Amino acid sequence: MSVTTLDPAARVAAAQTVSSRIWREAFASIEFRIGLIVFILLVLAAALYPELSGLDPTKLSVREKLIPPLFLGEGWTWKHPLGTDQLGRDMLSRALTGLRYSLLIGVATTVLMLIVGALIGLFAGYYGGRVDMVLMRLTDAQLAIPMIILAITILGVSRPTIPSIILVLGLAGWPVYARVMRSTVMAEAKKEYVRGAMVLGATNLRIMFLLILPLLLPPMAFVAVLDIARMMIFESVLGFIGLGVQPPTPTFGNIISDGRKYIMNAWWIATMPGVFLVITLTSINLMGAALERARNKIYGGA
Amino acid sequence: MFILRFLIRRLLQGVVIVFLVSALIFTLLRVVPGDPVRLMAGGMAPEALIEEIATEMGLRDPIPVQFTRYITGVFQGDFGQSFVRPASGAAVGGASFDDSTRGERARVLDLIAQTAPMTIQLALLAMVFALVIALPIGVAGGLYPGRWPDRMALYLSSLFVSLPNFWLGIVLALVVSVKWQLVPSIGYHNFAYTILPAFVLAIEIAPFLIRTLTVSVAGVMAQNFIDIARVRGLSRNQIVFRHALKNAAVPLLNLLGVQFSMLLGGVLVIEFIFDYPGLGLLTINAVMQRDFPLIQGIAIITAAAFVLINIVVDLAATAIDPRLDY
Repeated sequence: MSVTTLDPAARVAAAQTVSSRIWREAFASIEFRIGLIVFILLVLAAALYPELSGLDPTKLSVREKLIPPLFLGEGWTWKHPLGTDQLGRDMLSRALTGLRYSLLIGVATTVLMLIVGALIGLFAGYYGGRVDMVLMRLTDAQLAIPMIILAITILGVSRPTIPSIILVLGLAGWPVYARVMRSTVMAEAKKEYVRGAMVLGATNLRIMFLLILPLLLPPMAFVAVLDIARMMIFESVLGFIGLGVQPPTPTFGNIISDGRKYIMNAWWIATMPGVFLVITLTSINLMGAALERARNKIYGGA
Repeated sequence: MFILRFLIRRLLQGVVIVFLVSALIFTLLRVVPGDPVRLMAGGMAPEALIEEIATEMGLRDPIPVQFTRYITGVFQGDFGQSFVRPASGAAVGGASFDDSTRGERARVLDLIAQTAPMTIQLALLAMVFALVIALPIGVAGGLYPGRWPDRMALYLSSLFVSLPNFWLGIVLALVVSVKWQLVPSIGYHNFAYTILPAFVLAIEIAPFLIRTLTVSVAGVMAQNFIDIARVRGLSRNQIVFRHALKNAAVPLLNLLGVQFSMLLGGVLVIEFIFDYPGLGLLTINAVMQRDFPLIQGIAIITAAAFVLINIVVDLAATAIDPRLDY
């Protein structure tokens, strides 16, 4: 994540409309539109298909086991476009249900990360001095433990449930946000409008939460879109090593991990959900990259 | 001496960080539920025996007491012994509570020292692959901002970053190793077993390199001295390789420092998929077996490595670009 250096004059003039300008700039790019369309289609499918098709992602049907996907191999049917697994469960329905959990955890985790990171960065940057030192050393320490080691350590010894996964990933991922927030707040707190507010007698909390935060949070939130994808990968990694949402609830991670055992005679169980995940993530990343570029263009930073 | 003062300051900061990391992970492991003694002794062991072993190992003392004892050992270079791994071999204990091998468990430091070279080999090869992939794409993207090489760089890096490493690993193992039989991939017998895991890791790193390269090359190419170089009659290749790339090297180095933990996370998963006997596989197994001393040791060592790498990166960056301040 890059820390942009801002030209104060341009910044003040643009402050009112920065968010909407970033939106418009990003929306004008092809990659953002492609990503958005694919993403909306996938979300709709995930929201509707498992119920509408009447195919329960956890219902076993031994007679229909190991049916290959459309046009690939013998015995495929339109009823199971992505085939079935070793227990006859419909792969499309499973993958889409997995997508629900993946999105839920990805978004919730990123929001949590953003909130924690922004708050810690805000306090460290605004108060400076000893508060800053303590908070930043804590950030450094957190940054020095690879996130995944932290996550699997906590989830490995306690029971992985959806809230605990969100909490662990969110609490492991905040340091980067805290750093970015701190440095921008430090630059911002020296500006005239902040000093003006102080002279008028505004309390520190008022300045922090009503003046600085609303100005700095949106640009950070745009870039956080990329982190949603990263967190979704994390969630699937956890599921893959058995520390994610537990079966029988299907998630990308546990479907792929399960399908690995049958890879030699039913390759689609492990690979098809992955294709799904890759398409979803690519659409999110395209949107995120477009937003990031738009932000950098408007701020003129790298 | 500037360098000396810089080194001392950073190393002291590093010690503080590593200390915090060990305190954090130590407390965490003891606060969360899950009794390692139960796992060591086996499910059939009577409760009294569990308590006896736990007390004997000091696991029932207050956490600060345990931590002081542990950290004193660490400062003397003693990271303790693994809870479950015998010194003699890779066999995993915990089956029966009167196992005689429990007396000679493996030392944590030995376990890490055995596996670390394998992981370093994997990581270095992955870096080479990643650079080979990212350099042409990233430099081309930076030379033509807004044109098709730039778009290409954006699309490719968006795609690469969207490939979950474990899935890519499985697919590549299936296609390259099983179907085409090009390179072996599961386990480790000789150097060829490193190639596929390193490639998967490289795909994971490459998008970050591509992005940094694109941005910094584009930035450098817009500078005055590049125009002047053209006037001086330097060829395009000379400009790109002598000036643009050299200036893009510093952000790349910084990236290495920042993304170290991501690299490690990737290593962990990839070693697990390919059954590659490195630090990552050791970590996963340690977590699964609640091997507290081993988890702590790995966390502390990786934190120390993180600190050291960041110091080296900063030193190297100033060597490349003397304008940078310590």
